[in-house]
Amino acid sequence: MPEAQRLERLAERLRSLDPVAPSPAAKIRGWNLVAAEVQRYGSRRAHARSMGRLVLAGLAAASLLAAGAVAASADSLPDSALYPVKGAIENVQGIFTFTPSDQFNHHLSLAGTRLREAEAMIARHRIDLADQALAGLNEQLQGAAAVVRTLADTSPSLGNSLEQQLRQAIETHDAQLASLQGEVTNPTAIAAITQARDKAQQALQVAADASRSGQGKDTGPSSQPSKGHAGGTEKPSNSGQPAPTP
Amino acid sequence: MFSKANPDDDRPLIERVRRGDQDAARALFERYFDRIYNYVYARLGRVEDAEDLAMDTMTRSLTRLDQFQDQGVAFSSWVYRIAHNATIDHYRRQGKVTLVSLENATLPQSADPSEMAIERMSNEGLRSAIRDLTEEQQQVLILRFFQDLTAAQVADIMGKSVGAVQALQHRALGSLERALQGRPSN
Repeated sequence: MPEAQRLERLAERLRSLDPVAPSPAAKIRGWNLVAAEVQRYGSRRAHARSMGRLVLAGLAAASLLAAGAVAASADSLPDSALYPVKGAIENVQGIFTFTPSDQFNHHLSLAGTRLREAEAMIARHRIDLADQALAGLNEQLQGAAAVVRTLADTSPSLGNSLEQQLRQAIETHDAQLASLQGEVTNPTAIAAITQARDKAQQALQVAADASRSGQGKDTGPSSQPSKGHAGGTEKPSNSGQPAPTP
Repeated sequence: MFSKANPDDDRPLIERVRRGDQDAARALFERYFDRIYNYVYARLGRVEDAEDLAMDTMTRSLTRLDQFQDQGVAFSSWVYRIAHNATIDHYRRQGKVTLVSLENATLPQSADPSEMAIERMSNEGLRSAIRDLTEEQQQVLILRFFQDLTAAQVADIMGKSVGAVQALQHRALGSLERALQGRPSN
């Protein structure tokens, strides 16, 4: 008999075998065991689900609190408990500024914020905090000037444009500080404002020098900075007297 | 023979079991317990062991449904895989010696396959002869002929291609035929 036929006969013989069934008692025992385990499994899953919901609810509440703190901290002042959150957010925002323009704008934006904080602190007679805010203002202006200086070699035209923006911002700040200086009587506050105005001018000087040297390299004598630029850097020291508002 | 399980029928039941529905668990138990018992009995040949392993297989199948979701196979295939693994674990615990394939065994010169009285061989004799085959050969013969599964279903259970299962089936039948020639047809 050919092999294929023999094997087919063997296969048929195997198919004809009656299935072996478990005894009814074994089946009942089996179901009782399985049912108990399935019940435990369902309870475990339900417990896990409720724990999961609890964790989710906790996370949602924490997220809401965090979002609320972030939102509330945006307008917080140095005497507020949320002020450190505001500083942390500003630092994070600073990390995500990649281009020189973004970094420059970030510094200018923070400079404006520090100035507003200083005004508020002086209004609340918190001269110590106002002094800190003015130091922060100076720090941001120095940062903006540093960006302009960095661009002097690599992108003089952009550096020049940013230097002009810095000049406008400092003029605006100076006007505000001068106005503030005229309103306060506290000698410490007056000294702090004077120092802030002087340092702002120094920052502007740094930026203007860098911009001038960059323009010399970039475009030659035909694009020398205007007289206005140079004039801005030669402003006298703000020795305690408010400057005229432009 | 057992009624064929449609994988699509299992899905809603599985979802209900996951939600703790005992009736759905009972339906799946009724659908698979006898098959698994039959499969394990064919592999081990002992009623007590078959009962224990069938219960164990059904318990594991119905209480590890979270793991089943990631397997990418039909529920029936998954249950058979659990039963197969339980059988292997049982062999290991019992210290069963790995069987040698009979594929290359030579036939006695006097034997004439055409005269083999396969039909006269007792059912238990046939089952016993199958248990002398290799693991894979046992598995493919039991699933194909005792469980009446298609080659595609067996391929899904064994994680092989359909062609590989068909080739394995052919070799297994040849090995069984040779094994039967050396046995008395009681």
